[in-house]
Amino acid sequence: MKLIKFLHKWLSLLVALQVLIWLGSGLFFNLMDHNKARGNTYRAQVDNNIAILPASLLAPKTVLQQQDKPVNSLKLISLLSQPYYLLNHKESLYPHFYNQHSLINAFTGEVKIIDNVFVQALAKATYSGNGEIKSVEKLMPPIADFLKEKNQLWQVNFADELNTSVYFDVGSGRLIGHCNDDKRFVDFFFMLHFMDYGSLGGFNHWQTIFFALITLLFSMTGFIWTMELLKNGRYKIR
Amino acid sequence: MSLHRTSRKYHKWLMLFVGVQFVIWSISGAYMVILDIDYIHGDSLVVKKPVSLKSDSINYALTQLYIDYPQAENIELTTLLGKIVYRFSTNQILDSGTDKVEYLLSADNGELLSPVTEAYAVKIAKSQYENAHVAIRQVRLITENPPFELSARHLPVWRIDFDDFASPSFYISVQTGKLVTKRHSFWRLFDWMFSFHVMDFIEEDASNKLLLVFACLSLLASIFGIILTYFRLFNQRGNTGKNKHKQKVRKVK
Repeated sequence: MKLIKFLHKWLSLLVALQVLIWLGSGLFFNLMDHNKARGNTYRAQVDNNIAILPASLLAPKTVLQQQDKPVNSLKLISLLSQPYYLLNHKESLYPHFYNQHSLINAFTGEVKIIDNVFVQALAKATYSGNGEIKSVEKLMPPIADFLKEKNQLWQVNFADELNTSVYFDVGSGRLIGHCNDDKRFVDFFFMLHFMDYGSLGGFNHWQTIFFALITLLFSMTGFIWTMELLKNGRYKIR
Repeated sequence: MSLHRTSRKYHKWLMLFVGVQFVIWSISGAYMVILDIDYIHGDSLVVKKPVSLKSDSINYALTQLYIDYPQAENIELTTLLGKIVYRFSTNQILDSGTDKVEYLLSADNGELLSPVTEAYAVKIAKSQYENAHVAIRQVRLITENPPFELSARHLPVWRIDFDDFASPSFYISVQTGKLVTKRHSFWRLFDWMFSFHVMDFIEEDASNKLLLVFACLSLLASIFGIILTYFRLFNQRGNTGKNKHKQKVRKVK
Protein backbone atom coordinates (compact mmCIF):
# COMPACT_ATOMS: atom_id res chain seq x y z
CA MET A 1 0.00 0.00 0.00
CA LYS A 2 2.94 2.27 0.73
CA LEU A 3 4.19 1.78 -2.83
CA ILE A 4 0.72 2.50 -4.24
CA LYS A 5 0.53 5.78 -2.33
CA PHE A 6 4.10 6.71 -3.26
CA LEU A 7 3.42 6.03 -6.95
CA HIS A 8 0.12 7.91 -6.91
CA LYS A 9 1.71 11.02 -5.39
CA TRP A 10 4.74 11.16 -7.66
CA LEU A 11 2.89 10.14 -10.85
CA SER A 12 0.38 12.90 -10.15
CA LEU A 13 3.20 15.38 -10.51
CA LEU A 14 4.14 13.92 -13.89
CA VAL A 15 0.67 13.76 -15.43
CA ALA A 16 -1.06 16.66 -13.65
CA LEU A 17 -0.92 19.18 -16.49
CA GLN A 18 -1.84 16.68 -19.20
CA VAL A 19 -4.77 15.30 -17.18
CA LEU A 20 -6.10 18.84 -16.80
CA ILE A 21 -5.67 19.35 -20.56
CA TRP A 22 -7.49 16.07 -21.27
CA LEU A 23 -10.38 16.94 -18.99
CA GLY A 24 -10.58 20.54 -20.18
CA SER A 25 -10.50 19.64 -23.87
CA GLY A 26 -12.89 16.74 -23.25
CA LEU A 27 -15.31 19.17 -21.63
CA PHE A 28 -14.89 21.46 -24.63
CA PHE A 29 -15.86 18.65 -27.06
CA ASN A 30 -18.88 17.97 -24.90
CA LEU A 31 -20.05 21.57 -25.01
CA MET A 32 -18.92 22.78 -28.44
CA ASP A 33 -21.25 23.67 -31.28
CA HIS A 34 -20.96 20.66 -33.56
CA ASN A 35 -22.25 22.50 -36.61
CA LYS A 36 -19.67 25.26 -36.31
CA ALA A 37 -16.96 22.66 -35.73
CA ARG A 38 -17.44 21.33 -39.27
CA GLY A 39 -16.15 24.54 -40.84
CA ASN A 40 -19.02 24.55 -43.36
CA THR A 41 -20.65 27.85 -42.37
CA TYR A 42 -20.28 29.26 -45.89
CA ARG A 43 -20.51 26.03 -47.83
CA ALA A 44 -22.99 26.04 -50.67
CA GLN A 45 -24.51 22.91 -52.14
CA VAL A 46 -23.27 22.28 -55.65
CA ASP A 47 -25.52 20.41 -58.02
CA ASN A 48 -23.12 18.41 -60.14
CA ASN A 49 -25.72 16.66 -62.21
CA ILE A 50 -25.96 18.28 -65.58
CA ALA A 51 -28.01 17.34 -68.57
CA ILE A 52 -25.68 16.13 -71.30
CA LEU A 53 -26.29 14.92 -74.79
CA PRO A 54 -24.66 11.50 -74.70
CA ALA A 55 -24.07 11.60 -78.45
CA SER A 56 -21.74 14.59 -78.10
CA LEU A 57 -19.53 12.86 -75.55
CA LEU A 58 -16.22 11.44 -76.62
CA ALA A 59 -16.25 7.63 -76.31
CA PRO A 60 -14.30 6.35 -73.28
CA LYS A 61 -12.61 3.90 -75.66
CA THR A 62 -11.11 6.80 -77.64
CA VAL A 63 -10.00 8.57 -74.46
CA LEU A 64 -8.23 5.44 -73.21
CA GLN A 65 -6.49 4.90 -76.54
CA GLN A 66 -4.93 8.35 -76.25
CA GLN A 67 -3.40 7.66 -72.84
CA ASP A 68 0.26 6.78 -72.34
CA LYS A 69 -0.10 6.01 -68.64
CA PRO A 70 -2.15 3.04 -67.39
CA VAL A 71 -5.68 3.97 -66.31
CA ASN A 72 -7.37 2.15 -63.42
CA SER A 73 -10.72 3.84 -63.70
CA LEU A 74 -12.54 6.44 -65.76
CA LYS A 75 -15.32 8.51 -64.25
CA LEU A 76 -17.67 10.96 -65.93
CA ILE A 77 -17.84 14.00 -63.69
CA SER A 78 -18.79 17.63 -64.09
CA LEU A 79 -16.93 20.72 -62.98
CA LEU A 80 -18.70 24.07 -63.39
CA SER A 81 -21.36 22.45 -65.60
CA GLN A 82 -18.79 21.05 -67.99
CA PRO A 83 -18.35 17.28 -68.31
CA TYR A 84 -14.89 15.78 -67.82
CA TYR A 85 -13.49 12.29 -67.72
CA LEU A 86 -11.55 11.80 -64.50
CA LEU A 87 -8.84 9.20 -65.05
CA ASN A 88 -7.16 7.47 -62.16
CA HIS A 89 -3.54 6.43 -62.77
CA LYS A 90 -2.65 5.42 -59.26
CA GLU A 91 -5.34 4.25 -56.88
CA SER A 92 -5.07 3.96 -53.10
CA LEU A 93 -7.39 2.53 -50.51
CA TYR A 94 -8.91 5.94 -49.72
CA PRO A 95 -9.19 9.21 -51.65
CA HIS A 96 -7.12 11.05 -49.03
CA PHE A 97 -4.18 8.66 -49.52
CA TYR A 98 -1.84 9.35 -52.41
CA ASN A 99 -3.69 9.10 -55.73
CA GLN A 100 -2.80 10.21 -59.24
CA HIS A 101 -5.41 11.65 -61.59
CA SER A 102 -5.82 13.48 -64.85
CA LEU A 103 -8.83 15.27 -66.29
CA ILE A 104 -9.95 15.14 -69.91
CA ASN A 105 -12.59 17.41 -71.45
CA ALA A 106 -15.38 14.95 -72.31
CA PHE A 107 -16.30 16.81 -75.51
CA THR A 108 -12.93 17.72 -76.98
CA GLY A 109 -10.49 15.28 -75.36
CA GLU A 110 -8.26 18.14 -74.23
CA VAL A 111 -6.30 17.67 -71.03
CA LYS A 112 -7.67 19.92 -68.29
CA ILE A 113 -5.23 21.26 -65.72
CA ILE A 114 -6.75 22.69 -62.54
CA ASP A 115 -4.90 25.99 -62.49
CA ASN A 116 -4.95 29.07 -60.29
CA VAL A 117 -7.78 30.68 -62.30
CA PHE A 118 -10.00 27.61 -62.66
CA VAL A 119 -9.73 26.70 -58.98
CA GLN A 120 -10.99 30.17 -58.02
CA ALA A 121 -14.16 29.60 -60.06
CA LEU A 122 -14.55 26.14 -58.47
CA ALA A 123 -14.16 27.65 -55.00
CA LYS A 124 -16.68 30.43 -55.64
CA ALA A 125 -19.29 27.86 -56.69
CA THR A 126 -19.02 26.16 -53.28
CA TYR A 127 -19.00 29.40 -51.28
CA SER A 128 -22.08 31.19 -49.96
CA GLY A 129 -20.40 33.96 -47.93
CA ASN A 130 -19.76 37.59 -48.86
CA GLY A 131 -15.97 37.55 -48.88
CA GLU A 132 -13.81 38.04 -51.95
CA ILE A 133 -10.90 35.74 -52.77
CA LYS A 134 -7.78 37.20 -51.20
CA SER A 135 -5.20 34.56 -52.09
CA VAL A 136 -4.71 31.19 -53.79
CA GLU A 137 -1.93 28.78 -52.95
CA LYS A 138 -0.81 25.34 -54.06
CA LEU A 139 0.22 23.35 -50.99
CA MET A 140 2.18 20.17 -50.48
CA PRO A 141 1.12 17.86 -47.62
CA PRO A 142 1.14 18.03 -44.63
CA ILE A 143 -1.53 20.71 -44.79
CA ALA A 144 -2.51 22.18 -41.41
CA ASP A 145 -6.28 22.33 -42.05
CA PHE A 146 -6.48 18.78 -43.50
CA LEU A 147 -3.65 16.83 -41.92
CA LYS A 148 -4.86 13.47 -43.23
CA GLU A 149 -4.58 14.50 -46.88
CA LYS A 150 -1.61 13.02 -48.66
CA ASN A 151 -2.26 14.78 -51.98
CA GLN A 152 -1.23 18.19 -53.25
CA LEU A 153 -4.06 20.69 -52.65
CA TRP A 154 -5.17 24.11 -53.87
CA GLN A 155 -6.05 26.45 -51.03
CA VAL A 156 -8.43 29.30 -51.90
CA ASN A 157 -8.67 31.89 -49.13
CA PHE A 158 -11.69 34.17 -48.76
CA ALA A 159 -11.63 37.52 -46.98
CA ASP A 160 -14.47 37.01 -44.50
CA GLU A 161 -14.74 37.26 -40.72
CA LEU A 162 -14.15 33.48 -40.35
CA ASN A 163 -11.12 33.36 -42.69
CA THR A 164 -12.74 30.64 -44.76
CA SER A 165 -10.38 28.49 -46.85
CA VAL A 166 -11.62 26.11 -49.53
CA TYR A 167 -9.46 23.15 -50.57
CA PHE A 168 -9.34 21.21 -53.83
CA ASP A 169 -7.27 18.26 -54.96
CA VAL A 170 -4.83 19.55 -57.60
CA GLY A 171 -5.03 16.41 -59.75
CA SER A 172 -8.77 15.75 -59.79
CA GLY A 173 -10.43 19.04 -58.83
CA ARG A 174 -12.25 17.18 -56.07
CA LEU A 175 -13.51 19.42 -53.27
CA ILE A 176 -11.67 18.38 -50.11
CA GLY A 177 -13.63 20.71 -47.87
CA HIS A 178 -14.08 24.05 -46.24
CA CYS A 179 -12.18 25.21 -43.20
CA ASN A 180 -12.58 28.33 -41.08
CA ASP A 181 -11.48 29.79 -37.74
CA ASP A 182 -14.25 27.93 -35.87
CA LYS A 183 -12.95 24.59 -37.14
CA ARG A 184 -9.33 25.61 -36.52
CA PHE A 185 -10.27 26.43 -32.92
CA VAL A 186 -11.78 22.94 -32.49
CA ASP A 187 -8.76 21.36 -34.23
CA PHE A 188 -6.53 23.08 -31.67
CA PHE A 189 -8.39 21.29 -28.88
CA PHE A 190 -8.09 17.97 -30.71
CA MET A 191 -4.36 18.61 -31.01
CA LEU A 192 -4.25 19.10 -27.21
CA HIS A 193 -6.44 16.07 -26.47
CA PHE A 194 -4.40 13.78 -28.74
CA MET A 195 -1.10 15.30 -27.56
CA ASP A 196 -0.43 15.80 -31.26
CA TYR A 197 2.10 18.54 -30.52
CA GLY A 198 4.02 17.83 -33.71
CA SER A 199 0.75 18.31 -35.66
CA LEU A 200 0.96 15.00 -37.47
CA GLY A 201 -2.81 14.53 -37.48
CA GLY A 202 -3.21 11.47 -35.29
CA PHE A 203 -2.90 10.01 -31.81
CA ASN A 204 -0.53 7.06 -32.23
CA HIS A 205 2.61 8.91 -31.07
CA TRP A 206 5.15 7.80 -28.52
CA GLN A 207 4.42 10.78 -26.23
CA THR A 208 0.68 10.00 -26.20
CA ILE A 209 1.31 6.28 -25.61
CA PHE A 210 3.81 7.03 -22.83
CA PHE A 211 1.44 9.41 -21.06
CA ALA A 212 -1.52 7.06 -21.59
CA LEU A 213 0.36 4.24 -19.84
CA ILE A 214 1.56 6.47 -16.99
CA THR A 215 -2.00 7.77 -16.56
CA LEU A 216 -3.34 4.23 -16.53
CA LEU A 217 -0.95 3.37 -13.72
CA PHE A 218 -1.85 6.62 -11.98
CA SER A 219 -5.62 5.99 -12.10
CA MET A 220 -5.20 2.35 -11.04
CA THR A 221 -3.16 3.36 -7.97
CA GLY A 222 -5.79 5.97 -7.15
CA PHE A 223 -8.51 3.36 -7.52
CA ILE A 224 -6.72 0.94 -5.20
CA TRP A 225 -6.17 3.74 -2.68
CA THR A 226 -9.89 4.57 -2.76
CA MET A 227 -10.75 0.90 -2.19
CA GLU A 228 -8.34 0.86 0.75
CA LEU A 229 -10.02 3.95 2.24
CA LEU A 230 -13.42 2.33 1.85
CA LYS A 231 -12.20 -0.86 3.49
CA ASN A 232 -10.73 1.08 6.41
CA GLY A 233 -14.00 2.90 6.97
CA ARG A 234 -12.57 6.27 5.99
CA TYR A 235 -15.71 7.25 4.10
CA LYS A 236 -17.90 8.35 6.96
CA ILE A 237 -20.76 10.81 6.71
CA ARG A 238 -20.65 12.83 9.87
CA MET B 1 -10.40 23.90 7.66
CA SER B 2 -7.10 24.45 5.85
CA LEU B 3 -6.85 24.32 2.05
CA HIS B 4 -4.90 21.10 2.42
CA ARG B 5 -7.57 19.37 4.47
CA THR B 6 -10.42 20.70 2.30
CA SER B 7 -8.69 19.43 -0.82
CA ARG B 8 -8.10 16.04 0.72
CA LYS B 9 -11.71 15.74 1.75
CA TYR B 10 -13.13 16.72 -1.65
CA HIS B 11 -10.59 14.74 -3.64
CA LYS B 12 -11.44 11.67 -1.60
CA TRP B 13 -15.21 12.07 -1.89
CA LEU B 14 -15.37 13.16 -5.53
CA MET B 15 -13.10 10.35 -6.63
CA LEU B 16 -15.39 7.87 -4.91
CA PHE B 17 -18.00 8.82 -7.50
CA VAL B 18 -15.93 9.52 -10.64
CA GLY B 19 -12.89 7.31 -9.94
CA VAL B 20 -14.27 4.35 -11.86
CA GLN B 21 -14.79 6.56 -14.91
CA PHE B 22 -11.19 7.77 -14.55
CA VAL B 23 -10.05 4.16 -14.78
CA ILE B 24 -12.34 3.59 -17.79
CA TRP B 25 -10.98 6.73 -19.48
CA SER B 26 -7.40 5.63 -18.98
CA ILE B 27 -7.98 2.07 -20.16
CA SER B 28 -9.98 3.06 -23.24
CA GLY B 29 -7.66 5.98 -23.99
CA ALA B 30 -4.58 3.78 -23.74
CA TYR B 31 -6.18 1.14 -26.00
CA MET B 32 -7.05 3.72 -28.64
CA VAL B 33 -3.62 5.37 -28.75
CA ILE B 34 -1.54 2.19 -28.54
CA LEU B 35 -3.18 0.31 -31.42
CA ASP B 36 -2.31 1.86 -34.75
CA ILE B 37 -5.43 3.45 -36.25
CA ASP B 38 -4.73 2.16 -39.77
CA TYR B 39 -4.50 -1.36 -38.37
CA ILE B 40 -7.75 -0.78 -36.47
CA HIS B 41 -9.42 0.34 -39.70
CA GLY B 42 -8.44 -2.98 -41.26
CA ASP B 43 -6.31 -1.35 -43.95
CA SER B 44 -3.81 -4.21 -43.75
CA LEU B 45 -6.57 -6.72 -44.56
CA VAL B 46 -7.20 -5.25 -48.00
CA VAL B 47 -5.04 -5.64 -51.07
CA LYS B 48 -5.49 -3.24 -53.95
CA LYS B 49 -4.11 -4.71 -57.11
CA PRO B 50 -4.23 -2.05 -59.80
CA VAL B 51 -5.79 -3.38 -62.99
CA SER B 52 -5.54 -1.08 -65.96
CA LEU B 53 -8.44 -0.61 -68.34
CA LYS B 54 -7.97 -2.07 -71.81
CA SER B 55 -9.77 -0.07 -74.43
CA ASP B 56 -10.31 -3.08 -76.74
CA SER B 57 -12.36 -4.89 -74.11
CA ILE B 58 -15.06 -2.17 -74.15
CA ASN B 59 -17.60 -3.67 -76.51
CA TYR B 60 -20.60 -2.04 -74.88
CA ALA B 61 -20.32 1.70 -75.54
CA LEU B 62 -21.29 4.55 -73.25
CA THR B 63 -23.82 5.75 -75.85
CA GLN B 64 -25.50 2.34 -75.66
CA LEU B 65 -25.61 2.59 -71.88
CA TYR B 66 -27.41 5.94 -72.18
CA ILE B 67 -29.93 4.35 -74.55
CA ASP B 68 -30.57 1.42 -72.19
CA TYR B 69 -30.49 3.53 -69.01
CA PRO B 70 -31.40 7.12 -69.93
CA GLN B 71 -31.45 8.19 -66.26
CA ALA B 72 -27.86 7.04 -65.61
CA GLU B 73 -25.72 9.32 -63.44
CA ASN B 74 -22.29 9.11 -61.81
CA ILE B 75 -21.03 6.76 -64.48
CA GLU B 76 -17.69 5.08 -63.86
CA LEU B 77 -15.72 2.63 -65.95
CA THR B 78 -13.54 0.38 -63.85
CA THR B 79 -12.60 -3.25 -63.28
CA LEU B 80 -13.99 -5.92 -61.02
CA LEU B 81 -12.36 -9.36 -60.75
CA GLY B 82 -10.27 -8.49 -63.80
CA LYS B 83 -13.33 -7.72 -65.95
CA ILE B 84 -14.19 -4.29 -67.26
CA VAL B 85 -17.43 -2.93 -65.77
CA TYR B 86 -19.61 0.17 -65.59
CA ARG B 87 -20.95 1.44 -62.31
CA PHE B 88 -23.71 4.06 -62.29
CA SER B 89 -26.76 5.18 -60.37
CA THR B 90 -30.27 6.36 -61.10
CA ASN B 91 -32.67 8.33 -58.97
CA GLN B 92 -35.96 6.52 -58.74
CA ILE B 93 -38.93 8.57 -57.68
CA LEU B 94 -41.03 6.76 -55.12
CA ASP B 95 -43.95 7.85 -52.97
CA SER B 96 -41.57 8.24 -50.03
CA GLY B 97 -39.14 10.46 -51.97
CA THR B 98 -36.28 9.72 -54.32
CA ASP B 99 -34.24 6.60 -53.93
CA LYS B 100 -30.77 6.15 -55.39
CA VAL B 101 -30.35 2.79 -57.09
CA GLU B 102 -26.90 1.66 -58.18
CA TYR B 103 -26.00 -0.68 -61.01
CA LEU B 104 -23.10 -2.86 -62.04
CA LEU B 105 -22.87 -3.69 -65.72
CA SER B 106 -20.41 -5.58 -67.86
CA ALA B 107 -18.66 -3.19 -70.26
CA ASP B 108 -17.85 -6.15 -72.47
CA ASN B 109 -21.41 -7.19 -73.32
CA GLY B 110 -23.75 -4.96 -71.31
CA GLU B 111 -24.88 -7.80 -69.08
CA LEU B 112 -26.36 -6.60 -65.78
CA LEU B 113 -24.21 -7.95 -62.93
CA SER B 114 -26.19 -6.41 -60.08
CA PRO B 115 -27.75 -7.36 -57.74
CA VAL B 116 -24.60 -9.24 -56.83
CA THR B 117 -25.18 -12.93 -56.08
CA GLU B 118 -23.74 -14.72 -53.06
CA ALA B 119 -21.11 -16.60 -55.07
CA TYR B 120 -20.04 -13.40 -56.85
CA ALA B 121 -19.79 -11.48 -53.55
CA VAL B 122 -17.61 -14.20 -52.04
CA LYS B 123 -15.31 -14.08 -55.07
CA ILE B 124 -15.02 -10.28 -54.80
CA ALA B 125 -14.32 -10.44 -51.07
CA LYS B 126 -11.65 -13.14 -51.48
CA SER B 127 -9.94 -11.26 -54.30
CA GLN B 128 -9.52 -8.18 -52.06
CA TYR B 129 -8.49 -10.05 -48.92
CA GLU B 130 -4.80 -10.10 -48.06
CA ASN B 131 -4.71 -13.90 -48.02
CA ALA B 132 -6.26 -15.32 -51.19
CA HIS B 133 -6.50 -18.83 -49.68
CA VAL B 134 -8.55 -17.79 -46.69
CA ALA B 135 -11.53 -19.94 -45.72
CA ILE B 136 -15.00 -18.44 -45.41
CA ARG B 137 -16.82 -19.05 -42.14
CA GLN B 138 -20.19 -17.57 -42.94
CA VAL B 139 -21.99 -15.48 -45.56
CA ARG B 140 -25.13 -13.52 -44.76
CA LEU B 141 -27.35 -11.17 -46.71
CA ILE B 142 -28.28 -8.09 -44.68
CA THR B 143 -31.21 -6.08 -46.02
CA GLU B 144 -32.49 -4.41 -42.85
CA ASN B 145 -31.58 -3.85 -39.19
CA PRO B 146 -27.85 -3.45 -39.81
CA PRO B 147 -25.49 -4.46 -36.99
CA PHE B 148 -23.92 -1.70 -34.86
CA GLU B 149 -20.79 -1.69 -37.04
CA LEU B 150 -22.57 -1.07 -40.36
CA SER B 151 -24.14 2.18 -41.53
CA ALA B 152 -27.70 1.77 -42.85
CA ARG B 153 -26.84 3.72 -46.02
CA HIS B 154 -24.77 0.75 -47.24
CA LEU B 155 -27.73 -1.64 -47.27
CA PRO B 156 -28.32 -4.14 -48.77
CA VAL B 157 -24.98 -5.89 -48.30
CA TRP B 158 -23.38 -9.32 -48.18
CA ARG B 159 -21.49 -9.91 -44.96
CA ILE B 160 -18.58 -12.29 -45.50
CA ASP B 161 -16.92 -13.61 -42.34
CA PHE B 162 -13.43 -15.01 -42.84
CA ASP B 163 -12.05 -17.87 -40.82
CA ASP B 164 -8.92 -15.99 -39.80
CA PHE B 165 -7.19 -14.19 -36.93
CA ALA B 166 -9.44 -11.59 -35.18
CA SER B 167 -12.62 -12.71 -37.05
CA PRO B 168 -12.47 -10.32 -39.99
CA SER B 169 -15.64 -9.48 -41.94
CA PHE B 170 -15.99 -7.79 -45.32
CA TYR B 171 -19.22 -6.07 -46.32
CA ILE B 172 -19.86 -6.19 -50.07
CA SER B 173 -22.59 -3.98 -51.52
CA VAL B 174 -25.31 -5.94 -53.31
CA GLN B 175 -25.87 -3.06 -55.75
CA THR B 176 -22.28 -2.19 -56.67
CA GLY B 177 -20.10 -5.14 -55.65
CA LYS B 178 -17.93 -2.62 -53.79
CA LEU B 179 -16.23 -3.36 -50.49
CA VAL B 180 -18.19 -0.81 -48.43
CA THR B 181 -16.66 -1.52 -45.05
CA LYS B 182 -14.71 -4.07 -43.07
CA ARG B 183 -14.36 -5.03 -39.43
CA HIS B 184 -12.26 -7.25 -37.19
CA SER B 185 -12.27 -7.92 -33.44
CA PHE B 186 -9.84 -5.14 -32.59
CA TRP B 187 -11.95 -2.57 -34.45
CA ARG B 188 -15.12 -3.86 -32.78
CA LEU B 189 -13.38 -3.51 -29.41
CA PHE B 190 -12.19 -0.04 -30.43
CA ASP B 191 -15.82 0.99 -31.05
CA TRP B 192 -16.71 -0.22 -27.56
CA MET B 193 -13.76 1.61 -26.04
CA PHE B 194 -14.86 4.80 -27.77
CA SER B 195 -18.40 4.39 -26.43
CA PHE B 196 -17.07 4.01 -22.90
CA HIS B 197 -14.67 6.92 -23.43
CA VAL B 198 -17.47 9.35 -24.37
CA MET B 199 -19.98 7.64 -22.06
CA ASP B 200 -22.52 7.13 -24.82
CA PHE B 201 -23.40 3.57 -25.65
CA ILE B 202 -26.01 4.24 -28.31
CA GLU B 203 -24.90 6.99 -30.67
CA GLU B 204 -21.23 7.41 -29.69
CA ASP B 205 -22.02 11.09 -29.27
CA ALA B 206 -19.63 13.12 -27.14
CA SER B 207 -22.20 15.81 -26.32
CA ASN B 208 -24.28 13.89 -23.80
CA LYS B 209 -25.28 15.14 -20.34
CA LEU B 210 -23.77 12.19 -18.45
CA LEU B 211 -20.33 13.00 -19.84
CA LEU B 212 -20.82 16.68 -18.99
CA VAL B 213 -21.52 15.88 -15.32
CA PHE B 214 -18.61 13.46 -15.08
CA ALA B 215 -16.18 15.79 -16.87
CA CYS B 216 -17.05 18.72 -14.57
CA LEU B 217 -16.79 16.66 -11.38
CA SER B 218 -13.55 15.08 -12.61
CA LEU B 219 -12.06 18.45 -13.38
CA LEU B 220 -12.94 19.63 -9.90
CA ALA B 221 -11.56 16.45 -8.30
CA SER B 222 -8.32 16.83 -10.29
CA ILE B 223 -7.82 20.43 -9.23
CA PHE B 224 -8.12 19.33 -5.58
CA GLY B 225 -5.72 16.53 -6.46
CA ILE B 226 -3.15 18.99 -7.80
CA ILE B 227 -3.40 21.04 -4.58
CA LEU B 228 -2.74 17.81 -2.68
CA THR B 229 0.28 17.07 -4.87
CA TYR B 230 1.66 20.46 -3.96
CA PHE B 231 1.19 19.97 -0.21
CA ARG B 232 2.36 16.38 -0.11
CA LEU B 233 5.45 16.76 -2.26
CA PHE B 234 6.63 20.33 -1.82
CA ASN B 235 5.14 21.73 1.34
CA GLN B 236 5.39 19.01 3.92
CA ARG B 237 4.97 21.58 6.70
CA GLY B 238 1.53 22.62 5.42
CA ASN B 239 -0.19 20.92 8.33
CA THR B 240 -2.22 17.85 7.56
CA GLY B 241 -4.50 16.33 10.12
CA LYS B 242 -2.08 13.44 10.45
CA ASN B 243 0.91 15.71 11.18
CA LYS B 244 -1.09 17.71 13.70
CA HIS B 245 -1.99 14.48 15.40
CA LYS B 246 1.65 13.40 15.50
CA GLN B 247 2.67 16.77 16.92
CA LYS B 248 0.04 16.45 19.64
CA VAL B 249 1.27 12.99 20.49
CA ARG B 250 4.82 14.28 20.80
CA LYS B 251 3.70 17.09 23.08
CA VAL B 252 1.89 14.67 25.35
CA LYS B 253 5.03 12.57 25.58
